[in-house]
Amino acid sequence: MTKRSKRVSIAIVGAAAFTLAGCEEEKVDAAAFPDLQSCLADASSGGMYTQQQCETAFDAAQTLHVESAPRYDSLEVCEEQHGADACGSEQTATQSGSGGIFMPLLAGYLIGNMMSNRAGMAAAQPLYKTKDGRFTNAARSSTYSTNRGAAKLGTSQFTRPSTTIGKTPMTRATAASRGGFGRSGGSRGFGG
Amino acid sequence: MQKTTLPERPDWRAHAEEVGFTFADMHGEPYWDETSAYALSLEQIENDIEDPSTELHAMCREAVAEIIASEELMAQLAIPEAHRDLVAESWRRGDPEIYGRFDLAYDGARPAKLLEYNADTPTSLYESAAFQWQWLEDQLKAGVLPEGTDQFNGIHEALVARFAEVFEPDSDLHFTAVADNPEDYGTVEAMGWAAREAGLGAHYCDLDKIALSEDGQFLDDQDRRIAVLFKLYPWEDLLRDDYASHIAGSGCLFLEPAWKALLSNKGLLPVLWQMFEGHPNLLPAFFEADVADALAGRGPAAPACAEAFDRAAADLAAAHVRKPILSREGASVSIHQSGKVIEQSKNLDYAEHPRIVQAYAPLPEFDGFRPVIGSWIVGESCAGIGIREDRSRITQDLSRFKPHYILA
Repeated sequence: MTKRSKRVSIAIVGAAAFTLAGCEEEKVDAAAFPDLQSCLADASSGGMYTQQQCETAFDAAQTLHVESAPRYDSLEVCEEQHGADACGSEQTATQSGSGGIFMPLLAGYLIGNMMSNRAGMAAAQPLYKTKDGRFTNAARSSTYSTNRGAAKLGTSQFTRPSTTIGKTPMTRATAASRGGFGRSGGSRGFGG
Repeated sequence: MQKTTLPERPDWRAHAEEVGFTFADMHGEPYWDETSAYALSLEQIENDIEDPSTELHAMCREAVAEIIASEELMAQLAIPEAHRDLVAESWRRGDPEIYGRFDLAYDGARPAKLLEYNADTPTSLYESAAFQWQWLEDQLKAGVLPEGTDQFNGIHEALVARFAEVFEPDSDLHFTAVADNPEDYGTVEAMGWAAREAGLGAHYCDLDKIALSEDGQFLDDQDRRIAVLFKLYPWEDLLRDDYASHIAGSGCLFLEPAWKALLSNKGLLPVLWQMFEGHPNLLPAFFEADVADALAGRGPAAPACAEAFDRAAADLAAAHVRKPILSREGASVSIHQSGKVIEQSKNLDYAEHPRIVQAYAPLPEFDGFRPVIGSWIVGESCAGIGIREDRSRITQDLSRFKPHYILA
């Protein structure tokens, strides 16, 4: 009987990977396209996807774009997050939208193989520009350096961005304010 | 207890980099230092540190009940009046504690003395539970330490067991810390790994990204509702933040719970002395406001503690330490010997806070360094130790973390 743990396997992987650490995540083949045309062109030259798959995925990304794209109440704030000329009004993006709400323009989409018909998963994700010239998803939980190319990606990259409002933990709700914690402590470390 | 020079593992810096231990050097000085290590016997560990620490935690729980029943003590501990019910409720509901760290002065011979209890936001968890553990395994494998050498470090296993005991499988927990502080973040992530190993979901969010929903719940940076929030951010600051008044109605379980605000407060020390005067692991301690005149020879101590003060007066006059009730990393701590200040920390944060006076227990000295034993409490029991040493008599932010082992 020793006085120490039998096994300790801990790495400090960083905030971005916090949720995923400790479990081997399933990976799928994935590809990003800046628009439907480039996917179709890739398909006709013997690419990874058929034209049918391109269209289905693009439709799915469009739907998610309307449902889950980040919304802003001014064009300035939207452009601050996504860069100049990367935003438009909700009205332009969806017929029932408001002229006073702004959202980023669709800057591409990400298709994951085998991701359709899985609970909580989306077969494709809309991509948006970030202010530093990269690309992000609707939940802004992942950032990609490009909107064109193929890669193996973890299945969590295809989590459906939720718009549900419920009372259960981890369901999403509307924030009335943000940043009400942390001010009293200033910027020092808090350990002791 | 001895300090032994040992060869460093040749590849430890590469290993540190690989596992993300980026603060192995801090402020241009080594923080993790394995050029030597502390060696203790099993008897020293079990009889002088482990059992007394478990007992001290039980005494602290008794002190919480005592403080909660007294408006006067709540005021002496500077708990804001508006939030005293929040603190008391968290105790009455039995909100669970996960961890804490006692700082002990121990020389291997005399009883360990409690210096303070980091009961709310203790750090150095990663280096204590994981990096130190790996050091021992590596040194055993390399034959640097003989077979049968052990370490008092069941911290990680105990945390996994504690999370599994407190939460239903698959519960989702959020973890938060102030952004861009690698040292605090290391502790939070080590905690997250333990939660995941216990079968729970662990999600991280920077403290200042937490939002309040229209219906009064806290949300993470992706607007998801937070049911349980482990925060490496002290209650004394939480209770003074803009969202303080929303905590009670949020339905969120905070870890550590609000009642830990009473233990991570140096006002605990006079309360413990009042309740358990003469306990071998306690030092005489008083609220400065009660004894300042008596110490200066200007008048009597406050009536409630006058007799206890008389019994401790000689010890205190020989040497004592003054500490603000909410100080961290030794800030605004001063050591007084025979009426003179012999050491004072340069960091004067917290100087405006009320102070306590505690009899001085000098730290032992090994090769010019003074070690403090950090004994980790998980749940209600002691699960391991981590040792930090400093050249100064006051352990501050330039202290070094030293591995330890139990002699075969």
